[in-house]
Amino acid sequence: MKRMNEERWKLFFSLYVDEVLSKEGQALVEDRLKSDAPARAYVEELRRLKALLSSKQKLVPDIGFATRLSAALEEQKMDERSLLPFPRRYLPAVTALTAVILVVTGVYINTNKGQFSHFFSEKSQAVRDVYEKNVLQGSLLPLFSKVDKDQALQFSLFGTLALDDKSETALRVDEQTEKGYRIEVGKDFKKNTPITFDHFLAEVKPTVEQKYIIDSLLELTGHRIESSVLIGDNNIMAIAPDLPRLNRMMVTNIASCLEPPQRIRFERLLEVNDAPYSVSSRSVPDGKKVHVLQKIPTLRRNNDFVIITPDTMMYSRIQVDFDSLRRRMEKDFLKIELHREALLKKMMAKDFQRIRRNIALPIPPMVGSEEFFSVEISVPGEENEQQHMRVVIQPRVRKQGINPESLPRSIRIHRWNDTAATPANTVP
Amino acid sequence: MALPLPSAEWYSKEPPSTVGVRARSFVPSMPRREDAILMTNEQRIPRPNAEALREMNDEMLISIFQSGDRDVYRILVERHQERIRNLLYSIFHDRTFIDDLSQEVFIKAYQALPRFRFEASFYTWLYRIAVNKSRDELRKKKLRRFFSFQTLDEGFDGEISSRLSVPPENRDTQELVSLGLQTLPEKFRTAVVLKDIDGLSYEEIAEVMQCELGTVKSRISRARSMLKKSLKPLLEEVKS
Repeated sequence: MKRMNEERWKLFFSLYVDEVLSKEGQALVEDRLKSDAPARAYVEELRRLKALLSSKQKLVPDIGFATRLSAALEEQKMDERSLLPFPRRYLPAVTALTAVILVVTGVYINTNKGQFSHFFSEKSQAVRDVYEKNVLQGSLLPLFSKVDKDQALQFSLFGTLALDDKSETALRVDEQTEKGYRIEVGKDFKKNTPITFDHFLAEVKPTVEQKYIIDSLLELTGHRIESSVLIGDNNIMAIAPDLPRLNRMMVTNIASCLEPPQRIRFERLLEVNDAPYSVSSRSVPDGKKVHVLQKIPTLRRNNDFVIITPDTMMYSRIQVDFDSLRRRMEKDFLKIELHREALLKKMMAKDFQRIRRNIALPIPPMVGSEEFFSVEISVPGEENEQQHMRVVIQPRVRKQGINPESLPRSIRIHRWNDTAATPANTVP
Repeated sequence: MALPLPSAEWYSKEPPSTVGVRARSFVPSMPRREDAILMTNEQRIPRPNAEALREMNDEMLISIFQSGDRDVYRILVERHQERIRNLLYSIFHDRTFIDDLSQEVFIKAYQALPRFRFEASFYTWLYRIAVNKSRDELRKKKLRRFFSFQTLDEGFDGEISSRLSVPPENRDTQELVSLGLQTLPEKFRTAVVLKDIDGLSYEEIAEVMQCELGTVKSRISRARSMLKKSLKPLLEEVKS
């Protein structure tokens, strides 16, 4: 007899109990059972187990089951019906129609993919062209060649900087919301009374040491402004997106180095001249670090700029050698100054409008009103900047200003710290 | 155009047993309810009375169901609900849970019945749905136990072991058999329940569990061995 392992014998015994073995198999098992008492006991136990299981009590029939099931099915049908916005019998037709529409749309897009891709790439191509023609050719000049103390103070207190001698056009930075800024270039700003450094000294009456500190701060600010706004051929302008922060930073720094009575006088000066920020003091809890001055870097470290032309805008990193630029400007001051003025006039006057009219796109992505254009910058994560400071600088509720709602168009840049080129977004 | 009328012997016709052929192709189809509304009295087929319907076999009732008369499903439910409830009770041993699960099985069957192809008998098809449903449910239970940070040994099985260790005189035989079944892994438990409690043949079990015949035989043999060990005191008692 062929030897079999124990598991196989158990399987045979199980099948023997169920009477499903073939005649040969049955004879084999019976042979073993005759001579093997444990095997007989095993089979006997299997039989008892089988009997025990088959005698297992059944559940009492549930008379209400079918009724409950009917109700559940009805409920489910109602749920299914309520999900569809049309009668269920139209479902195949609607599905077929949708499929046909999708197929037709797909075929149309496929046959005209050239047009579609052209439409979508037009904008990015325009941005690339501007970058290559203007930025890479190195025709950029600082818009402000020499920012003196008075100009730096004017910018610090009011966020405006005159672009010409008569102060008809100006660059202005403005904190619009808690998290964002607006940079504007144009003509129709409310003109602030010019406050010179001497005027400031007379009003606030700082000590000699304070005067030196403020003086050096203004000098730093001047350098910083020079490296933050660039202008180039073809109406290109590059603005550092963090320029607006310089304004608040300077007011904070000036206020930080003043004593309380002087600070009150400083606040009065700001209030009388309707400056965009107000100064207030607060007590700082013990153990908190008190920052006296915020560091102002003379040159921008990350070299990120918002590059603006009449019909495009992009975000890019530009490496500018400001030292060589300054040397060049000192050497050919007059020539460069004239060129700069010409560029500025061209940008602010007719060319801007003419270019705008020639734009084929339905909505010009970057032009403001007749007199100015503006860029909005959202700067996240600055709420805690002044958390531990003794002096708090807050945007003043402006008596008169440019209402963003009244602007026909402006540009918003979000997440400006992203270094990738960002196409212009229009905000109606 | 007048709709074709079913012949007088329509209800007495048996569906063919050939696997893979739809019985409906041999049986004249009943007009749909929507069409029946538009029929004249002469065209309208008299609906068999409840008694006649109850005497029909499963396949014929399914043919009527597929022709549009959904009410016959109630007869199928009444006919099979007890077996399904008992099967699920043997697998889960939880009365409170059985009603909901049985209902889900019959709802699923109702939704799938229009696509029933007469390749298997209705009750094996229904058993298959029930077994699949119970597998899903056991999987969910395992997951729930896993996420409640309770290991299988410490939880459910531990509880069964402690209940089986109660002296025989204090225990109910039926209860012990049910608890013994709970100690088996799902695939062995289902196989032995289908064989020894529901009385299905090996071939039917293979169809329900969707596995090979040899696998079923081996599972049942192993399940019986395991069950024999866990119910040894009880089997001794039965012997005496």
